[in-house]
Amino acid sequence: MDKGPFVCTGCALLCDDITVDLQDNRVIGVNTACLKGVSRMKGCSSPMTCTVDGKTVDVDTAIKEAARILEEAKHPLIFGHGNSTLEAQKKSIELARELGAHIDDTSSFCQGPLVEAILNEKIPTCTLDEVRHMADVIVFWGADPSHSHPRHLSMYSYFPRGKQRQRGWEEDRTAVIIDVRRSDTAAVCGDKLYEIPVGADPEFMDALLNALASKVPKTSFNMDPKRILELANILKKAEFGVVFAGLGMTYSLDSLEPLFRLMDKLNETAKFHLIPMVGQYNMRGFDHTLFRETGHINRVYFGGEEVEHGPQRSVVELIRNNIIDAAMIIGSDPLASLPGPLAKKLSKIPLITIDPCENLTSRISKVTIPSALSGVECGGTAIRMDGVEVVLKQIIETNRLTDEKIIARIMEEI
Amino acid sequence: MGFGQFLTEPEFKLIIVTHRDVFQNTAQENSRFGEQYAERSSVIRLDKDDMKKMGVKAGDLVVAKNASGRVVLKAESSTLEQSHPGTAFMINGPWANALVAADTGGTGVPAFKNIEVMLSRSKGEKVTSLAELI
Ligand code: SF4
Repeated sequence: MDKGPFVCTGCALLCDDITVDLQDNRVIGVNTACLKGVSRMKGCSSPMTCTVDGKTVDVDTAIKEAARILEEAKHPLIFGHGNSTLEAQKKSIELARELGAHIDDTSSFCQGPLVEAILNEKIPTCTLDEVRHMADVIVFWGADPSHSHPRHLSMYSYFPRGKQRQRGWEEDRTAVIIDVRRSDTAAVCGDKLYEIPVGADPEFMDALLNALASKVPKTSFNMDPKRILELANILKKAEFGVVFAGLGMTYSLDSLEPLFRLMDKLNETAKFHLIPMVGQYNMRGFDHTLFRETGHINRVYFGGEEVEHGPQRSVVELIRNNIIDAAMIIGSDPLASLPGPLAKKLSKIPLITIDPCENLTSRISKVTIPSALSGVECGGTAIRMDGVEVVLKQIIETNRLTDEKIIARIMEEI
Repeated sequence: MGFGQFLTEPEFKLIIVTHRDVFQNTAQENSRFGEQYAERSSVIRLDKDDMKKMGVKAGDLVVAKNASGRVVLKAESSTLEQSHPGTAFMINGPWANALVAADTGGTGVPAFKNIEVMLSRSKGEKVTSLAELI
């Protein structure tokens, strides 16, 4: 058996230094991971069972029923994908094409816009390894990695001694945080917390732009212009700057233009990059895969003459406008993560859930098919939050099928 | 039974901002149906002065509602040093999501981190359970 190190799939940081203790083909100890990673890799306490209409069935029966539902639906949706390997995502796209279905992933209401801008080369980016070795100015914007990506600061962004940052955080790195509250990550940034009102991110971007152009930066929330000028000074001098953009920023931007302007301006004098704080371990992977195949990262409809894409094809609008009449959910729990009124609507149509663990969506699904937990019960590849491909290894044996295999079997039935 | 039950509780307008929490996330990895997950997800953290104004103490139950939904939550005082009147914080999860509007103005991205609600003291209700949410 492989002794590791293994990769944790608890979040899109995909920490690759994990070792485990095994007993009777079970992970009983996880070393070096954070709390959340340990919980992920040990496996959940409520594994999903294979069911049709709430009754336990064998996998073949469930797969047949899933195929029947998808085939009979006029407007099926395939959704989720953030917790699946690249291999499974590819299969899922193949199935969507074959069915003429709608396909979307969690990036649709998460970090999609930033991933898209990076893939279209509208924002300069870099890898986390470059951050570890070179970054001297680190900006957490609407992000709280201490909670969302607990090892972010220790593995890459702040604490490590990097090749060119041998004096570490004490002297070599400056961390700045822009947020609506003093989060736990803010504690690390000391007086470099810039607190802004909810939704004021674009305004603060413009204020910074003024400060960078040596104009007096005014804000409607009366932040001391001196403080903003100070920040502009820090940013201007960066040898290798990086903005870690969290959902706090992404949700506040109706358009990415203010961000583009800021990044352009920063790159006139300094070198600045942006990495989106992607949550689920392979959300970015799905976006890359679909982008390669269709030119779009998410929100695609294969049922028309040409591939259709747009907000009206997003999971949220599809449910809201009663377009879809069946949905297959892979590695996601939309009933927990969507707005309540949409969760209620979604629960009215036949659902198929593929997941290692029971969740809110699986409880009301017509068909549930348990799958292997990736990075533990099966291997594969995934794309880290910074776009780097990472190989996942299998640690223990299982008789549960992989997402990829389940989708392939459904395709055989159709 | 007091006379108070016939009076409607005064309502206060608030913005809820959601955020992540590693402990809730860890609990979720273990089970969506565990107590710990529910406990952490159903707390609303309020500004200390707002609490005084509303007559709410830490541990009291409050009703948050808007056109999208209605949930009973446990009020706690904010852990932040600075005051933030009019803004409350919740950990992202089904309880907060129950209050998020389906209408996105056509963008497909709901306002998960900027939820306008009316908050009032609860009269003898229990914290909304996960079962009630689905
Ligand atoms: S930071 Fe993310 S990838 Fe790393 S151990 Fe924690 S959950 Fe796993």
